[in-house]
Amino acid sequence: MAAIIRTERLTKSYGAHRGIVEVDLQVEQGEIFGFLGPNGAGKTTTIRTLLDLIRPTSGRAFVFDIESTVDPVAIHRRIGYLPGEFTLYDRLTGGQTLAYFANLRGGVDPAYQRSLVERFELDPSRRFREYSKGNKQKVGLVAALQHRPELLILDEPTSGLDPLVQQTFFATLAEAKDEGRTVFMSSHVLSEVEKTCDRVAIIRDGSLARVDRVEALRDLAAHQVELRFAGPVPADAFASLPGVSHLAADDHTLRLHLAGPIGPLVQAAARYELVDFVSREPSLEETFLAEYGRASAEVTPP
Amino acid sequence: MTASVGRVPAAGHGPTVSGRFAGPGSVFGKTVRDSRRATIVVAGLTGLIVVAAAQVLTADYGTAQARQELKDLALSMPPILQGLAGKPVNVDTLGGFMTWKYGVFFPLIAGLWSILALSGTLAGEVRRGSLELVAGLPVARRRIALEKLLGHVAVVTLAMGVVFVLTAIAGRAFAQLPGDEIGIGAAFAYALWLGLMALVAGSVAFALAPFLGRAPAAGIAGAIMFAGFMLNGYQAAIPQFAPFAGLAWFAWTGDFIPLAGRYDWPSLVPVAAVTVTLFVVGVEAFARRDVGATSAIPWPSLPAPLLGLRDAFRRAVGEQLPPALAWAAGLGVYGLVMAASGRSFADELARSPDLTSFFASIFPGIDMTTEGGFLELVFVEFGLVLIGLAAATLVAWWASDETTGRLEIVLSTPLRRVGWSLSSGLGVFVGLAIVTAGMALGIAAGATAAGGDATTPVAGTLVIGLYGAALAGVGLAVGGLVGSRLAAPTVAALTILIWLTDFLAADLRLPDVFHEIALSSHIGAPMVGSWDVPGVLACLALAAAGLAAGTWGMRRRDVAR
Repeated sequence: MAAIIRTERLTKSYGAHRGIVEVDLQVEQGEIFGFLGPNGAGKTTTIRTLLDLIRPTSGRAFVFDIESTVDPVAIHRRIGYLPGEFTLYDRLTGGQTLAYFANLRGGVDPAYQRSLVERFELDPSRRFREYSKGNKQKVGLVAALQHRPELLILDEPTSGLDPLVQQTFFATLAEAKDEGRTVFMSSHVLSEVEKTCDRVAIIRDGSLARVDRVEALRDLAAHQVELRFAGPVPADAFASLPGVSHLAADDHTLRLHLAGPIGPLVQAAARYELVDFVSREPSLEETFLAEYGRASAEVTPP
Repeated sequence: MTASVGRVPAAGHGPTVSGRFAGPGSVFGKTVRDSRRATIVVAGLTGLIVVAAAQVLTADYGTAQARQELKDLALSMPPILQGLAGKPVNVDTLGGFMTWKYGVFFPLIAGLWSILALSGTLAGEVRRGSLELVAGLPVARRRIALEKLLGHVAVVTLAMGVVFVLTAIAGRAFAQLPGDEIGIGAAFAYALWLGLMALVAGSVAFALAPFLGRAPAAGIAGAIMFAGFMLNGYQAAIPQFAPFAGLAWFAWTGDFIPLAGRYDWPSLVPVAAVTVTLFVVGVEAFARRDVGATSAIPWPSLPAPLLGLRDAFRRAVGEQLPPALAWAAGLGVYGLVMAASGRSFADELARSPDLTSFFASIFPGIDMTTEGGFLELVFVEFGLVLIGLAAATLVAWWASDETTGRLEIVLSTPLRRVGWSLSSGLGVFVGLAIVTAGMALGIAAGATAAGGDATTPVAGTLVIGLYGAALAGVGLAVGGLVGSRLAAPTVAALTILIWLTDFLAADLRLPDVFHEIALSSHIGAPMVGSWDVPGVLACLALAAAGLAAGTWGMRRRDVAR
């Protein structure tokens, strides 16, 4: 599959302040790619560099194989962008705002535009300044989606949206994916990212900490395992197993955290009379939190 | 079963004393802290002019004979020339001269500061959303408004304290002849009057802001102050102004000239009463109304074709239209009133050959009996300041694309940065053309109504418009090269700086270069058809080069958030 977004040692510094440091990233065509990180980690800096809104200090960014600083307009022609924080024209209505951005793109399919407005339950007759935060976000989303871009770059797209509209939004993303379009989005709603994204990158302190498929990332965090036996078992026999931690023995029950392959644990448990075995898969949120403290990036190709 | 929730004792330390009074320790302290730069600028500017005025008198009129000549000149000046000066009372003394020559502008400077501060102290924070956080604290809204208000009163008092000290020092240091010395009481009375004149202007904005929002409140208060200043200044020369001049607070305190030894304490009472009343209105309106709920002034919406949804240039023009039309209306009315008043001045000249020869000696080559000559005398100086402030407003509108963050979305479309920069910059110039057209229309209507020649002064407004375009060009260049947040403040500061340079350079015997660098001294006498062609070309070049430099800068730099 072709890489839609590719960065090579992409670095941006703001004087004494860190922006991003040597970010190597690749987003493939047709995938929904989640970009995770705490506030100030460098998500927005990366996105703005891709769009040539800011210029890299060193390294390069390519979108559709076009270097971002060389021909940004050719990139912009094929993308839809929603910034994390924005305001639009106070005196224009939502409908006029959408019409203006449609005109800047040489026109859009009015039926599709209308369908988006209806799906997001946006009242296009109100002035932008009169909208609530969520409705302003809807205007931004429709403006980013209305021309059916090949690539959607969305910075915190669900910010301010109510749960029902969030569902609509994620359904729209799924449709975009079904049509072979690509989505690159940053988010703090990890449960939604977990359900929606194919791959996820975690950025920490300006550097990529990890890039992998969502399922693979889940495995990085420890499974919480509970083993109940018919009789007493020596806890020491399990403590020395690879990946085992937080081991606690209680009567005939062992509780432990397991990182990595589960095989050795199963083999060890099989030596005793096992009554019950419960393993809880970690959420992406737990993976995200577990990633803190790890430094080097491990990138797994799709 | 009942549950009780006890009050959690406050942890940690409270704000420091310095934080409470000039820092983030209280609403009052933060207001004072946020005003520090403006306080320094206003106190420094007025202090500089006080010292400059004293120095001028010492250098130019050091003898009793020279003082007598100065007094004779001041008293013999026709009202039209006295218009923007103070009353000539004891102008042969240091205090009388300072008040007559310069003191009349101080209330405008201080009043403008107060209007900008008090229109925004609550309404500006409401718009930014920060007041919601403050209003969510366990502090009554009335107290928030009061602390904000008192914070501004405190910094005005501080600035006036500087004026008081510098006036008193200048009154001692530069006193040469009997009567020159300015007593502590006179300096105090002058500073008190000046502070009151600032606060009364600000109180109008403060009372209106909870109802109308910041910009309309500031605009109306500014228009009232400026109109009052003009009506009061020209009421003697233009009889039609006299009935309305009594409404201006400048007229109420017209006989309170403490530096010249004339006191009219009762005249301060109505000014103080109006100020306090409007402050109470502002505080109560903020306390009782919904936070941020303002009533829009009924104003017709722009027709859809004028909104400019087709492309970036039309959108830029559509965005510039409302402020441009507001400035056009304001300058148009100003031009209309001044041009319409020219006939009475011409009649006065026709009746007095001495007066005619007096003007011929001061303004050789300018026929003061024409509309153009009259407008050259009374319109151009303030016209240049106003067009500069209009340019600052339009440049601020231009900059808002970037400062509000919408430029990110605009530039994520297939619109080149160069395209946006040129389109939006040209939008500023179209806005200025609309302002100039409004001014020209007003002057044309006024001159025609007065039965004079309208063509020459109307053509002259083009030069004023070009002057505004030059200042806007500088703003666009700074905005593109450095950052759009600096663009409008640069234009406003440049406007005031040029006016001050033009105003003070000659009096202070500054080297010619100071006068030469003031762009306003290179526009000729446009209202009588005398154009300084190199100056006009310089204006054009500055406008074009500014746009080009800004566009070049915009191509190269990061888009700010």
